[in-house]
Amino acid sequence: MGKKLLITNKIRTLRFFANEMTQLELAEKAGASRQTIMALEAGKYTPSLELAFRIADAFGVSICEVFEYKKEEESK
Amino acid sequence: MTYPSKRTLISIGVGILLLVVYVIYALGDASPAPDDLKLWALALLVYIGACIAAGIVIQILFHIALAIGIAVKEKPGDDKKVERIIKSSMLEDEREKLISLKSSHIGHAFSGFGFVTGLIALAVGSSAVVVLHIMAGAFAVGSIIEGCVSVYHHERGVPNG
Repeated sequence: MGKKLLITNKIRTLRFFANEMTQLELAEKAGASRQTIMALEAGKYTPSLELAFRIADAFGVSICEVFEYKKEEESK
Repeated sequence: MTYPSKRTLISIGVGILLLVVYVIYALGDASPAPDDLKLWALALLVYIGACIAAGIVIQILFHIALAIGIAVKEKPGDDKKVERIIKSSMLEDEREKLISLKSSHIGHAFSGFGFVTGLIALAVGSSAVVVLHIMAGAFAVGSIIEGCVSVYHHERGVPNG
């Protein structure tokens, strides 16, 4: 079958370069909760395409600069 | 541990406590006669009402506790920031909805299993009161399981899709 996709993100790095934008500020800009931003940074949640675009928009970059995926392992 | 997890854990604790209180009442001397369906239904209605009231009180108390906790952590006088944090923490976004959906799916499956078990019990000749309690018990345990699954997803993460 297909390979399992692992989606990673650079939100923490981008927040640092965005003048240390807080998780709260990013959450407000992206229309998500602070816990969701925390979960995203910890790799505990994969956002929907819509939220991914909103986060990229909050940083003023393209979605590819925030999220990337790699094929991890064969799925059963 | 996140705010929704703490709130859910307290809800689970209160749910278990109320269930234990009901079981003690049901097995005690003050309980209605085994064939008095009307009084058992009333007792279950009171139990459900107590669960709903406890849920509302927990929501209110947790909102107050959250506000106090954040206000203590943040700089004094920064009311706007405290308000923003509370608003963000209480926001029900896509992740909350996904966790809610996944946990309620398991809770409902358990409740459905209880309903079928109740029907089987009725088919093999159990009394209506026993069937009523099998179904009510399945709903109560299903709700507790739903809370446990919700806490698990909040803490361990939830895959999208």
